[in-house]
Amino acid sequence: MNRLIAGGLAAIAMSLLASTANAETLRVALHGQAGIDAFTPTAERIEKELGVTVEIVEYPAPDKDYMTKLLTELAAGNAPDLFSIPGASDVADMVAAGYLAPVGAELAAWPGYKDFVDVAKQLAVSPDGETYVMPYILGIQQIYFRRDVLEKAGISTEQPKSWADLLDRAKEIKAKTGAYGLLFPAGTSWGGGAFAEGFSHLIIGSSTPQIVTDDGKFDLNGKGVLDVFQFYKDLIDNDLMPVDPLLGPEPWVIPKYEMFPKGELAATTCGSWCYIFDWGRESKNPIPDVTTVVGTWADPGQESGEFVLAGLGAPWAVNAKSANLELAKKALLETGSVDNQIETAARIGNIPSSNAVQADPRFQALTELVPIQAAANHGTYLKQATGMSAVSEGVARATEALLRKETDAAGAQAILVDYVKQTLGDEAVK
Amino acid sequence: MAGVNSPRQGAYTALAYVTLIIISIFCLLPFVWMALASVDSNAQLFLKWPDSWTFDNYIRVFATENGTRWFANSLFTVLSATILVVIISGLGGYALSRSKAWWKQPFLYGILLIRVLPSTALLVPLYKILLTANNGMGSLVRPLAGENYRAIMQMVGFIDGYLGLIIVLATGQLPLALWIMKVFFDGVPKDYEEAAILDGATLVQRIHRVLIPLALPGLAAAGLFAFMSAWGDFLLPLILLSSPELQTLPIGLFRAFLRVNEIDYGLLAAIATIYLIPAVIAFSFARRYLVQTFSGGVKG
Amino acid sequence: MAFDAFQKRKERQLLRLLLPALIPLAVLVIYPALYSVYLSMTNEALTGLAAAKPRFVGVGNYLRLFSDARFWNSLFVTFVFVVGSAIIGQFVIGFIAALALKRKIVGSSVFGAAILLPNAAPEVVAGFMWISMLAGGDHATLSKIMIALGLPWADWLQTFPLFMVTMVNTWRGIGTAMILLTAGLSAVPTEVYEAARMDGANPRQMFMRITLPLMAPTIFLYMLISTVSTISVFGLVYALTRGGPGGKTEVISVYIYNQSFTNFQLGYGAAGAVVALVVSLALGIAYVRSLKVEV
Repeated sequence: MNRLIAGGLAAIAMSLLASTANAETLRVALHGQAGIDAFTPTAERIEKELGVTVEIVEYPAPDKDYMTKLLTELAAGNAPDLFSIPGASDVADMVAAGYLAPVGAELAAWPGYKDFVDVAKQLAVSPDGETYVMPYILGIQQIYFRRDVLEKAGISTEQPKSWADLLDRAKEIKAKTGAYGLLFPAGTSWGGGAFAEGFSHLIIGSSTPQIVTDDGKFDLNGKGVLDVFQFYKDLIDNDLMPVDPLLGPEPWVIPKYEMFPKGELAATTCGSWCYIFDWGRESKNPIPDVTTVVGTWADPGQESGEFVLAGLGAPWAVNAKSANLELAKKALLETGSVDNQIETAARIGNIPSSNAVQADPRFQALTELVPIQAAANHGTYLKQATGMSAVSEGVARATEALLRKETDAAGAQAILVDYVKQTLGDEAVK
Repeated sequence: MAGVNSPRQGAYTALAYVTLIIISIFCLLPFVWMALASVDSNAQLFLKWPDSWTFDNYIRVFATENGTRWFANSLFTVLSATILVVIISGLGGYALSRSKAWWKQPFLYGILLIRVLPSTALLVPLYKILLTANNGMGSLVRPLAGENYRAIMQMVGFIDGYLGLIIVLATGQLPLALWIMKVFFDGVPKDYEEAAILDGATLVQRIHRVLIPLALPGLAAAGLFAFMSAWGDFLLPLILLSSPELQTLPIGLFRAFLRVNEIDYGLLAAIATIYLIPAVIAFSFARRYLVQTFSGGVKG
Repeated sequence: MAFDAFQKRKERQLLRLLLPALIPLAVLVIYPALYSVYLSMTNEALTGLAAAKPRFVGVGNYLRLFSDARFWNSLFVTFVFVVGSAIIGQFVIGFIAALALKRKIVGSSVFGAAILLPNAAPEVVAGFMWISMLAGGDHATLSKIMIALGLPWADWLQTFPLFMVTMVNTWRGIGTAMILLTAGLSAVPTEVYEAARMDGANPRQMFMRITLPLMAPTIFLYMLISTVSTISVFGLVYALTRGGPGGKTEVISVYIYNQSFTNFQLGYGAAGAVVALVVSLALGIAYVRSLKVEV
């Protein structure tokens, strides 16, 4: 019976499709409408230059659902040829699983790569020393604050010198304006953001700035991790950070798109994209004259120092089992083009990795991003390792417990350590 | 007879009205929000009277979103699965009703127990099996199809193909459908068949001439319940489909729900309403079979 | 002899008719169920080293499972969810509705249709509609209603997550309960009530001494079936909360999904699935036994 239906369907399909074009098809997966819009011109260039048909596969947009689908298909061997990876912390695990094709040689031979900032190239290198991704854009993160709100209340807008200084500033904001003083993304519904847009800002300035040891284990029992959670706890206990919205679905909507533009939240971690996507011209609720009204601080260190956090923004990679491996690698190089970098930057507000963009008038038109791109050359970053996705989820769970006021800093650290041990095995944690 | 109790009975009746009104509001309120939001030019998360009335949201589902495709895909896969279920359960239900073999009892217990398996528990192995089948089908189709390979696999593939989804959806509905049909045939007297046997009719003729006409109400019940349950299934298309051309309504809804940083509630409500309507129609037909089916013919 | 041969031939024919049902069930249900048992003894994962080289870990996953507070939590959540929605919520409200509809009510078919409508809503639609009712703090519809009535509001899915999810599942099942219990009620002969009334019994006594005892088989049947079908609810909870916040609504089906597809631990997720299978089967067998199913 089933065979009969199958046969019938096949016959219908044959007759329907007898006249399709005969180019090779490259399947490309990426997430989010903005990402698709930004990629469309690149897809057209790939089609023209490589003589292939590019088919864009839209998976569910939230990073987690996208990854679920992508990993299921990678494991099954029927994944697209080329895909973007929303969370750079997943790359190391995907390499370990053998899903990504090595592209180090291709990148080295590609003339465009020499213009990339060093941070981008270093971030693209996996723990095994090989490169598997195209690091075409960077997320450059800092602390963004409402200059107008602070100045009006007579609060210093100077770069904070230490965590204590930053915390005092947040308390002063609360006392003088009533607004929330500082937001670090936290909790499980923010997904990878709790780690990449929150925890990371603090840990790089702590007494244990790297959580990956030389032998690839995770050093999570250190004092630095404890201090970071204590910082969260201080923010939450002093009511300096809006907690309730973070516990709901879409936790970023209320604080970032509503409270910050209204001045009810005076400072938050954010990436360069905030100038364009969250509060700039691509926003539904833009802040007028955003680059003057909203200023940036580098992340202060626990005691001293200034850090500009750099991470890969949704890097591209090639499916190791792609039927069109060589074509897909050529298309990957196309995603690293200056054109794609600028188009993506314009849509999403990430920072192009290539210094060559500075000479391009289209990039110079993105005035918000020009100084940040220059600063990217001094960015610092967190070392990656296999199992990073588990650490990211563990941080989300630990900060969720802090948000719900169910535990203290030591308890949060224990949640993180337990989760990582449970997921990766006891031996993964130092 | 109720003379003495009249005032009291009146009070009870009033109480019954109040209770029913409260329960009905509880049951209907979410639908009211959805219906209003779908025709509101500025729909919000919460219940409100539309700013201005518009069918723009519905138009957008079909014009800017792939609504027609989603709807067609849902209808095609679910109807195909329903037809499969009706045929297979019709044959199987007859066999189960008439057989006296040893395997009858274990089989009936078995499918009763299948109904309790949580679907997430079977997902990973199911995916692997379908993948193997898909690769097999792929190697069959590849030499025949040439450059149309992928397009054909979207029809006959087991992963990311119509055929796989239809078969899995149908299998999920089989246990209940088999029960319904078994119980139904139990109620069909054997006299008719025996008369047909005496006329020298073969098994196929018996089924065709006598049983199908008799079984129509049972098949209708089995088909309606299979349709509703397959129509509402969300996990299988979520896991099995990825090509945009194959997307179904629940996935379109789920995706629109999660797509952008700020949700477009009017559009969502319109998709949800479109998705809801066939389910409500099927349910209104199925309602009369609810009692006998819910008990799964357990007392059969 | 001749009859025997005839009977045998007939049985073979019947078996052939059953085959189209037997094959898909064996391949797509029975085999996966057995395969999960195997999978649960490996560390297979969707990503990381274990995805490339899965190892056999024996009962390791089970040991880990039984020391995982989140797993025990999910069993507890499932218990509350099932008891709260299937056994208490749907049953009590459905029974009240059935009793009310037994009176001569104008527009009873309208009420009946209204109460049945949620049953027709697919899980994702139900989840989506209830997000509008419950999510968003003071923006939520329920909050607005509470404010209009001068009552306090809350961020419902955060403050009372399990209660809310249970309530939504109750909402979906009132209609079925009502229909079944209406059928049960109409099977109670009116003469019994007449006789009781002659004896001077009041309505409360009649309910406790006549209605309930005579309805007991129907009620029991209803509860067993709704229990078993509630254990496997997935889409509704997933669409509403995905098991959050902090695992407070993580019923077993969502726990399995989260372990397998959010944490990408297929082997570990399968161990959770096997435990769920065993519990469900035990309940299922209890259900078959206690009903003394005759087949």
